[in-house]
Amino acid sequence: MTGVVGRSVESITGALRTVFTAEQVASADGLLQRRDPRVAVCSVAGLALAVMITRTIAVTLCFGAVTVILARLSAVPLRRLLARSLAVPLVSAVIVLPQVVVLPGDTLVRAFGLSVTVDGVAYVVLFTLRVGVGVALLSLIVMTTPFSAVIAAMRELHVPVALVWVIAVTYRYLFLFFDELQRLVLARNSRTTGRSSLRGGWRDAKRLVGTFLLRTLDRGERVGRAMQARGGARPPSPYSRSRTVDRGDYALVALAVIAVVGSGVIRWGL
Amino acid sequence: MGPVIEARGLTHAYPDGTTAIQDVTVSIDEGERVAVIGANGSGKSTLQLALGGLVEPTAGTVRYFDETTDAEAVRDRLGVLLQDPDDYLFNTTVREDLEYGPAQLGMSREAATQRVAHVAAELGLDTLLDRPPFRLSGGEKQRAAVASVLAFEPDVLLLDEPFGAVDAHYRDRILKLVTDHEGTVVLFTPSLDVVADVADRVIVVGPDGSIAADGSVRDVLTDSTLLQANGLRPPATVTLFEGILDADDVPLTVSDARAYLLDELG
Repeated sequence: MTGVVGRSVESITGALRTVFTAEQVASADGLLQRRDPRVAVCSVAGLALAVMITRTIAVTLCFGAVTVILARLSAVPLRRLLARSLAVPLVSAVIVLPQVVVLPGDTLVRAFGLSVTVDGVAYVVLFTLRVGVGVALLSLIVMTTPFSAVIAAMRELHVPVALVWVIAVTYRYLFLFFDELQRLVLARNSRTTGRSSLRGGWRDAKRLVGTFLLRTLDRGERVGRAMQARGGARPPSPYSRSRTVDRGDYALVALAVIAVVGSGVIRWGL
Repeated sequence: MGPVIEARGLTHAYPDGTTAIQDVTVSIDEGERVAVIGANGSGKSTLQLALGGLVEPTAGTVRYFDETTDAEAVRDRLGVLLQDPDDYLFNTTVREDLEYGPAQLGMSREAATQRVAHVAAELGLDTLLDRPPFRLSGGEKQRAAVASVLAFEPDVLLLDEPFGAVDAHYRDRILKLVTDHEGTVVLFTPSLDVVADVADRVIVVGPDGSIAADGSVRDVLTDSTLLQANGLRPPATVTLFEGILDADDVPLTVSDARAYLLDELG
């Protein structure tokens, strides 16, 4: 576990922990941080919706540019935004990759008896871009608004309680899940001497899986009790950070509305 | 004053068949200061969870404030601190963790802000409020967990080893906050040296998870035979003066022992 597997666990856990250090960005003085949390949630979700509607690479790239501008104006380091947003589109790209040979169209390249089509490549690129920009926009909300404020805003916006509950619990448990894994790896490493081979690392990892699942279940139960002890059995109800909506808020909402309408018009026409 | 917690025939067995507590019948009155002591693995923590309504007992009932057996109905009046502070700190910042209970339990924002500021200052957390909990040291996490329970001002405190990883300075601070608490305090601990500072009644949980003794602090802490039979050791001051002074005169705390020695030495 001191080898590749251990390092992978450490980097995944480290990446998740950056989610938490994002709170520092949330407390910075920036465009999105100054917005009412309800407005930030609605507007950025609206922009993400506009990205999902679009079917044009150029328009998607425009939304990508808007995302970058919003990030810069909100003091969000672009490298961190990219790191947070990269994994999901990459996985999506792998999933839709077969479309490059499945979709009919003009042949771009022929290899191993398969034709890679122009339409197929365009589809994969567009899909990956849309997912990437969408995820980056949603990451922007979490990075620029304290998580409890996001939850409070969703409650105020009358998002169904069950959905808010799932989001709140998933967000917390995701971190705890990897935290537990890192503890296990640290405990294992503290009793391991020398370098282990890749095969040895995987063998150890296999042994740890069972323990990890049991410990995660146990930890989950204990955290669940700790939540329940402080009213966690009731719907999430953090203190609201809403305030008077100002011109900047209206401008952001207007941008989101224009984006959704514009995206719809470009896709479906008037 | 009526009982705030009344357990009858409480038994809890885990799915693997281990019986953690058995046939526990105990009543805790309003304003009482009770220490629940027992060796490691005796079932103290399970008893705390059962009394706090956080595990469903296999048998028996717990009644709260002489009005309900539903702990959720009185959740805002019960402050249950679990043993591991890591389980408690699941929010993104210490401030959010401290505000979690007050918000969930319906305390007004103004009252919560004031209360959080107070407990944070008392426990030296005021400079750590915007830090993610995972960046805290063990002692800081323990203080944050204690603060998160005190933040919503419950009537009854059920505290499982609240002094765990804290240094002597903050141990005294926590001790003071607990002793100053105006409601009921139930402290679950294997460490007997703090018991006399907090409690006026002691319940001993035996190795089989049943109640082995229930009596005054002096009666229990000076009964070495009882304590040793249950895997415990008397406080250092009791060991020091045992056989030298009568059980009624043995100092139970270091400050009492110091006062006695100063008096004796003239």
